[in-house]
Amino acid sequence: MGDDGSTAACQPLSLSNLHSLLDSVDCFLFDCDGVIWKGDTLIDGVPQTLEMLRSKGKKLIFVTNNSSKSRRQNAQKFQSLGIPVTEEEIFSSSFAAAMYLKVNEFPPEKKVYVIGGEGILEELKLAGFTGLGGPEDGKKTVQLKANTLFEHDKSVGAVVVGIDPNINYYKLQYGTLCIRENPGCVFIATNRDATGNMTDLQEWPGAGCMVAAICGSTQKEPVVVGKPSTFLMEFLQKQYNIPTAKMCMVGDRLDTDILFGQNAGCKTLLVLSGVTSKSTLQDPLNHIQPDIYTNQISDIFDLLNS
Amino acid sequence: MLVSTRAPAVSAAAPQRFLPNFNSISSLSFSSSSSFINEKKIKTTVGWSNYSSTRMDKKMNLLVTSATASVAAQPLENADALIDSVETFIFDCDGVIWKGDSLIEGVPETLELLRSKGKRLVFVTNNSTKSRKQYGKKFETLGLDVNEEEIFASSFAAAAYLQSINFPKDKKIYVIGEEGILIELELAGYSYLGGPEDGGKKIELKPGFLMEHDKDVGAVVVGFDRYFNYYKVQYGTLCVRENPGCLFLATNRDAVTHLTDAQEWAGGGSMVGALVGSTQREPVVVGKPSTFMMDYLANKFGITKSQICMVGDRLDTDILFGQNGGCKTLLVLSGVTSLSMLQNPNNSIQPDFYTSKISDFLSLKGAIV
Repeated sequence: MGDDGSTAACQPLSLSNLHSLLDSVDCFLFDCDGVIWKGDTLIDGVPQTLEMLRSKGKKLIFVTNNSSKSRRQNAQKFQSLGIPVTEEEIFSSSFAAAMYLKVNEFPPEKKVYVIGGEGILEELKLAGFTGLGGPEDGKKTVQLKANTLFEHDKSVGAVVVGIDPNINYYKLQYGTLCIRENPGCVFIATNRDATGNMTDLQEWPGAGCMVAAICGSTQKEPVVVGKPSTFLMEFLQKQYNIPTAKMCMVGDRLDTDILFGQNAGCKTLLVLSGVTSKSTLQDPLNHIQPDIYTNQISDIFDLLNS
Repeated sequence: MLVSTRAPAVSAAAPQRFLPNFNSISSLSFSSSSSFINEKKIKTTVGWSNYSSTRMDKKMNLLVTSATASVAAQPLENADALIDSVETFIFDCDGVIWKGDSLIEGVPETLELLRSKGKRLVFVTNNSTKSRKQYGKKFETLGLDVNEEEIFASSFAAAAYLQSINFPKDKKIYVIGEEGILIELELAGYSYLGGPEDGGKKIELKPGFLMEHDKDVGAVVVGFDRYFNYYKVQYGTLCVRENPGCLFLATNRDAVTHLTDAQEWAGGGSMVGALVGSTQREPVVVGKPSTFMMDYLANKFGITKSQICMVGDRLDTDILFGQNGGCKTLLVLSGVTSLSMLQNPNNSIQPDFYTSKISDFLSLKGAIV
């Protein structure tokens, strides 16, 4: 993976670079956690900003690595927060996992073991696949006794790992056995974010944690379907037919959102309302430079209204 | 900073039943190490202002790889010659002495033979669930005459490591692991938090909820943990990310382990992997293949390493441990490694010898004691 190699430091959002951004971009891709909301708390100024962009004829798309919800569940969350967004405008990593299996012709008679949330199970079902595991396995315990064998379904052909606050040893063991013992079993990660703003007050371990746990027990690397992989971009483009050069990716994380945007050839805008601080952005060890940065997306609204 | 390396996956490479046709994935998929270097990814050895790098610690910081990978392992034919050429035998436990709670056949007689020939016996296990004393009891229950002082579990290694760097007694240690670690820390005079008890703690990701963590935690120790949960991951992550100078130690990184004799179980490598994923930091590993325990016992018993034979069932921990320490190495096939894994062209770790189980010492020697 690479950054675009540019050594130019990114610029703070200003009226002039905002105008040129609005002139050159037809579509804004937004990350959700740390950009639109934090946990279940809306970041202030978001609804007006999105409305204003829509009124300027910009297409809005939401690309989230959070696999706990399906596209439909994410749409419901937007609606409950008073923001009109349709399911078709949302591309979640839960959806990406199901689509990956679909484009690669995963046999529907094979099963998929899920270490993650309901969102993944729902997307798998919609795509015609059978999912096992998910939140329910969070209640299962493990017996380490001489005569007890830990069984696993031999027809599992893929293990999908995403963020899982119900992670436990049962799931780790189940996923490990499937990957190590079922011939050809694929290991898919919805994403590898180290942490995320699952609540408004602090960061929490992300899918990167659960995925690395399975890497640790299987000694295998997964296929990653979420950002910064550009897998989802193909679906986006099929649906909306907009060249990536006319898109701007807006996110709070350098190694997923911004890298995704750069990899796909989009413009990139970093917001500091999530996991990245200004000092992290400006740290000499950081090689990922977005085009523009600002505190939060409502700065767009404020600038244009001033 | 990574002390242990992993051998290529020893399970047979799974043939892909369907091939991805989306080309950009292979070039753009996110690798295990982030391209964005977290500013908090500090070297753990300089966490304490009054700490000076010890010889043991310097050795641990070296990237540990197999030095002589090219010569293929020989089947053990002349056991006597091997026995006579060394003073000390270091044995791994799971897959060598026992499998789960079942003794592997011929073990008591073999150990007796070696002792009768005046050999020192040491047992080094990466299993951190028990303390040395608890292992002593396990040996006793299985009818083996082994002293607590001869046992070095990775739970003990964690405590010994902290002592070796003069970890301050007024700092606390957060443990993601089982009782063995807690017992050893307490014996070494340290205060700990966490352990199995935190397995019962739940979190609710809702607005206004804040998880607090003890700012006095100066080290997080991670090992195998059957009570692993999100609470522990978050607690450990907060300590490592937010407490200045907080150390991140791993008892071991074994991918799988034989907790019962019937099958493999996800090992400490899983729990450690989880913390690496959330902190984006690599731990200091105290168990095999890191040579910390080797240096410790060589020092303690005054043994020359070339006079040691390491006997184990796992290539990327036991054999690598022995090779890194400059010892002779003997792989037994009574545990996780099969002959085909040893001979697989993808495997670059070649012990000096291999045999089916340690009781081959009895049959291969010919004459009776």
